[in-house]
Amino acid sequence: MSTEVTSMAAPLVVPSYLEQAPEVAARFSRLKQRPVILEVRDLSKSFTSPGRPPTVALDRISFQAHRRELVCVIGPSGCGKSTLARLVAGLEEPSGGEMLLDGKPIRGPGSDRGMVFQSYTLFPWLTVLKNVMFGLEVGGQMSHAEAESEARTWLEMVGLTKFATAYPHQLSGGMKQRAAIARALANRPRMLLMDEPFGALDAQTRCQMQSYLLQIWRQVDITILFITHDLDEAVYLADRILILDAHPGRLRELMEVAVPRPRSADQFLSPAFVAARHHLEELIHPRANQAADKLPAFRMTVVGDEVE
Amino acid sequence: MRGSWTRPLAGLSPRASARFWAASFLGPLGLWCAVSYLPFLWHPMMRVTDPGDSAWMTTGELVDRAAFATENAEVAGRHGRIAAGRPANPVFLPAPHEVARALVTGFTTPPARPEEPWLHQALWHSIQVIFWGFLLSSLVGVPLGILCGALPAMGRLTEPFIEFFRYLPAPAFGALAVAVLGIEDAPKVSIIFIGTFFQQVLIVANTTRRIDPALLEAAETLGASRRALVTKVVLPGIITDVYTDMRVLLGWAWTYLIVAELIGVSSGITYFINQQGKYRAYDRVFASIILIGLIGLLTDLVLASLGRQLFPWMKTAKEGWFSRTIAKVRGRGRGRPDAPVVPGSETAEEAARA
Repeated sequence: MSTEVTSMAAPLVVPSYLEQAPEVAARFSRLKQRPVILEVRDLSKSFTSPGRPPTVALDRISFQAHRRELVCVIGPSGCGKSTLARLVAGLEEPSGGEMLLDGKPIRGPGSDRGMVFQSYTLFPWLTVLKNVMFGLEVGGQMSHAEAESEARTWLEMVGLTKFATAYPHQLSGGMKQRAAIARALANRPRMLLMDEPFGALDAQTRCQMQSYLLQIWRQVDITILFITHDLDEAVYLADRILILDAHPGRLRELMEVAVPRPRSADQFLSPAFVAARHHLEELIHPRANQAADKLPAFRMTVVGDEVE
Repeated sequence: MRGSWTRPLAGLSPRASARFWAASFLGPLGLWCAVSYLPFLWHPMMRVTDPGDSAWMTTGELVDRAAFATENAEVAGRHGRIAAGRPANPVFLPAPHEVARALVTGFTTPPARPEEPWLHQALWHSIQVIFWGFLLSSLVGVPLGILCGALPAMGRLTEPFIEFFRYLPAPAFGALAVAVLGIEDAPKVSIIFIGTFFQQVLIVANTTRRIDPALLEAAETLGASRRALVTKVVLPGIITDVYTDMRVLLGWAWTYLIVAELIGVSSGITYFINQQGKYRAYDRVFASIILIGLIGLLTDLVLASLGRQLFPWMKTAKEGWFSRTIAKVRGRGRGRPDAPVVPGSETAEEAARA
């Protein structure tokens, strides 16, 4: 897919990814006026296993996310992007550095940071409605009736009202992830962490889910940290993209996406989109590395029977 | 079918499934019938119908075939009237119809001696021993197993010893159980307990450890406390598997029954079977053994059906005959009151998108 886009883009004059239309620039300056929700300072994480040297998953990462910003994290496999989300969620302990949510240090998991995982994590023994009510009920501040009406509102927002009484195994993958988003948002968290949430979905459903996510994000006061390995997905969704290097996971660049909002699928071929996409491609799959993609040549067919 | 059932893990149509179910019983039954009713298959004995001039054979006696032939040759040698008989199986292998008759008459025939139990009394006694042994074991074993599985420290503290203890054969504790608990039912219940408990803790602990850790993480990010993780995630997350474990374990408990009932004052179905063996009433011995099997099979079918009723979220959940019966008894036309309005499917997905 990646080569397809670059070859199509080749005849176009690709503008610099840094070039921002005036309204885009204005939007970014407004965005940066907003209060900082998440502040990450010199965050490091290494994993130790006995008898082996420790693996450094993240090495001194620093960035900020402003209120209602959508930050995507992208990088080659092994760059520790999932680890970053799990650290912010409190599911892992950092080896160094600090993370502040609304200025307060993050310690352990909490309902102020919702998370959507790549694997489906709806509770199989609860109906969709009860799943969405889970956080509201363990939080304990709401009566059952309040929690139910709140949960129904969120189900309506993700378009699953009709499936309130269905069990998770009766839903398709996309519907499961929509229910998981509703479940995470029902807690009214400050941040939504999404760890490759659409990675297991087919291409068509993934597109649809991206569009759903943008629609939901527009209507809710939520700051999103979205982990992905899909370059198009990152450019389509993000305000800014955090590009990580692998081994050790270091911050390569914090890129502002110059594609104007509101986003739509029509923008995939717009110059700003192609430029951003092209830049990511250069960083993540540099041309110098393409020689490494070649397999040793063995011919198992007759000469003259070439397919390309 | 068309041969598709030869493909590994191929699904079976309900009809094929029912056929194979029936065949699994009809096969062994057919074999038994063949051995019983086809004289040329086995029949190593002769049932004497007329002893002729034999010195020692009597009418109705079962005689070894070779001995029968030798005796007849000897009688013929002294120009006597040779004995007549028909091929028969040994006394310990009664024919199906004899066992079937015993199954009915077993319940209607009073015991040979007044102090002996009726068949149904013996069975009921056995069921009670199993019930109490299994219940007591589960009351302690299931919570302990869940605790061991959920908390590694607890598991490490408990499981190595249990791992050691479960290799000690339960019947070995018979003498001890009698010394401590007397000769009535208590030592029998304790043998069932010992036979079940240690396996139960380990199996339930393993089942608990198989819960998807992502579910726990998801619950944590939703603000669940540690207590809520146990009560609202671990427990409901494993309950269906623990239920299945319990069905298997209940079967194991039955295998300890016979030994348990020999301890102290022999009782229950074991005593009944042994008495019938002494009277050489092997048709009743077989009938009793078959009854144990039927009780086990029936219990399991009821539990399986009850499980589908209790755990509607299971993928295999469907309306079993048990839930249909319950619904009928309740006088309702439907089995599950909270069945989803629109079952999920690709078409349902389309409908939701629209």
